[in-house]
Amino acid sequence: MSKSTYLEALKKALYEEMYRDESVIAYGEDITRYGFGVNKGLVEKFGKDRVRNTPISEGAIIGTAVGAAMRGMRPVVEIMFADFIMVGMDQILNQAAKINYLSNGEWSVPMVIRTPEGSRWFGGGAQHSQTVHSMFMNIPGIKIVAPSDAYDAKGLLKSAIRDNNPVLFFEHKQLYFKECEVPEEEYILPLGKAAIKKEGKDITVVATSWMVTHCMEVAEELRSKIDIEVIDPRTLIPLDKNTIISSVKKTGRLLVVDESPATGGIHAEIITAVTESEESFRYIKCPPKRIGSLDTPIPFSETLEKEVIPTKERIKREILNFFI
Amino acid sequence: MDIEQEIRLFRTMVRIRTLEDILEKLFREGKLNGHLHTYHGQEAIAAGVMEALSEKDIIFSNHRNHGHFLARGTSPKSIISECYGRVTGTNRGRSGSMYLSDKKRGMAVASGVVGGNICVATGSALASQVKKDKAVTVSFFGDGATNIGFFHESLNMAAVWNLPIIYICENNHYGAATKKEEHQKIKRISERAAAYDMPGYTIDGTDVIKVYKKTKQVLEKVRNGGGPVLLEFLVYRLRGHSAGDLGNYRPEGEQNKWKEIHDPIKKYKKELLKMNTISSQEIKEIEEEVQEEINEAVDFAIKSDFPLSDTVTKNIYQEEEANE
Repeated sequence: MSKSTYLEALKKALYEEMYRDESVIAYGEDITRYGFGVNKGLVEKFGKDRVRNTPISEGAIIGTAVGAAMRGMRPVVEIMFADFIMVGMDQILNQAAKINYLSNGEWSVPMVIRTPEGSRWFGGGAQHSQTVHSMFMNIPGIKIVAPSDAYDAKGLLKSAIRDNNPVLFFEHKQLYFKECEVPEEEYILPLGKAAIKKEGKDITVVATSWMVTHCMEVAEELRSKIDIEVIDPRTLIPLDKNTIISSVKKTGRLLVVDESPATGGIHAEIITAVTESEESFRYIKCPPKRIGSLDTPIPFSETLEKEVIPTKERIKREILNFFI
Repeated sequence: MDIEQEIRLFRTMVRIRTLEDILEKLFREGKLNGHLHTYHGQEAIAAGVMEALSEKDIIFSNHRNHGHFLARGTSPKSIISECYGRVTGTNRGRSGSMYLSDKKRGMAVASGVVGGNICVATGSALASQVKKDKAVTVSFFGDGATNIGFFHESLNMAAVWNLPIIYICENNHYGAATKKEEHQKIKRISERAAAYDMPGYTIDGTDVIKVYKKTKQVLEKVRNGGGPVLLEFLVYRLRGHSAGDLGNYRPEGEQNKWKEIHDPIKKYKKELLKMNTISSQEIKEIEEEVQEEINEAVDFAIKSDFPLSDTVTKNIYQEEEANE
């Protein structure tokens, strides 16, 4: 074991997969020389055929990945900011997600779209800070991954690349430079398997991506008072409902923390999974709660942005409210 | 071009026309559901282009796709069955008329979103470039599609990367019910190629020999690394946009002129007779044989089963290894 940042772990995953399988290709806007740098170093090793900078054309970046995937490639394309993925939305909704189904599995689309999302406390503002992953929950035919630390990032990206379906891989800007233990040897993590980040018996907190960091810190700070179980679903589609249901059966309380705007977000899907399950419903002691971003565009000024994005303080307050 | 080929081109066009006549009739009698866009007037394009292509080439089609599939060798039985939503259809009833697919013949899943497939086709060409498999990708779309951003993004990217793709614009002078002059100022769509430093040609798309020869000529250049080409074939949609549309927003004089002078089948028949390639008797025999073939295909479709309802959730995701 040695420490690695989330960014280094992603770089290593991509490198290993490109080394292992020559059908893996990587491209996106300025990927060899600008941005967060997940693709840095790849062109020197794998050449310009497999690693390309593209014009600013999100529709074509995503759409060509669909077509290349149909023809036996495994494209891993980057969208510079998750907000921009909507420029190519048709290619995800109407092309990538439909092709396998419409052709009864004859044509498949093994591709990954990697993209950084979420607030950076940096003043990215309305079009560079959004958490958009919940919107894609409504598209049967794609998978959605959102790793919360370096260990998960590496294992999940490798699985996403090997998966035979379109996978949206949401990285978090706040996490790129966070470190954790990552094994030297190769490993992969299956899509559709949640991680119990901390065991506990008083309340189940389901958190995604950067919110896991907050929730783990809150769990530590409240350790003497409340025994919090923190679950990270890791993948939103497929969603590991069983792990969450079993946890709520044990704790009887549920809080969901996700950075998407709360209305219509993944939070509701998780709460529904628990309340509609015969297995967990009768164990629920009090109404489940959710914490998301406020239903507003994300403003620039720090004082405003901190109102919108869920903070550690807000999460702590909400957890304490369960026990008043 | 030998006599056998000339007769094959004629037969292909007659097969397409006869298939479309029958589908249109069935639709108007209320026997077919969905959206049906027939190929009347454009038959020479599908026939000529497919005659020129090789087996390994890949074709991306659009909502007006029956002619492309039929000319490529997909059976009328499977096309008509698909229009009837039967399990014997090209997509086992999952598509209907608009999203036909036939992987064995290099026919990708067609797209019903205007222009939506242009990026995907470009990705197929990218795969060929990386794999060096010498396959050429053909992307079919109409004049209306050349106004959508995906057209621009794709042609630009294909030019920058020198991809092996032929973009084929079937300019039938109407984007749904909007006359070309109202939807774009440029007269020759092929001139748009200049914006990408790509060769562009405008050809009479009602002359099957010209279509074949031009396609053949550019095909070898594209195959050998010459980069993408835009072909504009001028035709006239002899029907409304879809089978439910009589198209009477178009001036009668205009319709009659094209019907009389530029019907590709009438024109080619006259030519074949003039050159003594074929006798009227032989033409009559071909027409009768084709009529019988298509009638049989309709019978086959009607007698075919519907897909079993419990198969509906199969293949939303790729369950096994597919592709090449």
